[in-house]
Amino acid sequence: MFLKLIGSALIIITSGFLGLFLSKECGRRPRELRELQNLLQMFENEISFLSNTIADAFNKLSDYSTSSTRNFFKQTSLNLIKGKCCSAAEAWEAAVKENFEKTSLNKEDKEVLISFGKILGASDIEGQIKNIRLTCTQLKMQEEKAEENKKKNEGMYRNLGLLGGLALVIIIV
Amino acid sequence: MGIDLIFRIAAIGILVSVLNAVLNKSGREEQAMMTTLAGLIVVLLMIVKEIAGLFDTVKTIFNF
Repeated sequence: MFLKLIGSALIIITSGFLGLFLSKECGRRPRELRELQNLLQMFENEISFLSNTIADAFNKLSDYSTSSTRNFFKQTSLNLIKGKCCSAAEAWEAAVKENFEKTSLNKEDKEVLISFGKILGASDIEGQIKNIRLTCTQLKMQEEKAEENKKKNEGMYRNLGLLGGLALVIIIV
Repeated sequence: MGIDLIFRIAAIGILVSVLNAVLNKSGREEQAMMTTLAGLIVVLLMIVKEIAGLFDTVKTIFNF
């Protein structure tokens, strides 16, 4: 009897935590999109006011931020410095493909980032700034969609986790 | 038979209605429908044994 109680409590706690974890995952995406936009703004400032090279600017950027999106920039600057890829676009694309799993970004976000990379290093400063602004606008749209998504799903996943655990306990025990 | 079964079915019923409300409110109506159906199926599975017993009893009472 006692063992049953402990077992069912364990199941409910586990599924409750699962629900909480899933709901937190949902909340991470808008935040990461916002941080990505901040980093891109800082990058724009770097190249328009300081005229740094891409590798240097990315290196500086990745030291400033603490989110998981900075890995894109860090990896790109590493790729450029080590000379593995010929152009900035390839370095950026390789960095995005490698580090994408660790963030909670979407497929659409990945497309936006890859299209950003195609114009990277391929035009003068004005072109770069326009490219950055375009990417920021697209990211902002994604962020609004993600915010909506989050509002809908966050509470739902939490409740679902708990109730699902309860249902399992009632049916099985 | 036992009162245990009745309590279980009642608990499942309450849970399914709460799940239904939660899913409906967050807009996922098809999934709400699915969980209702799933709850129904689970309860039916629990009861099917008792119904078989009922038919057996009816058969023995009327000597079929």
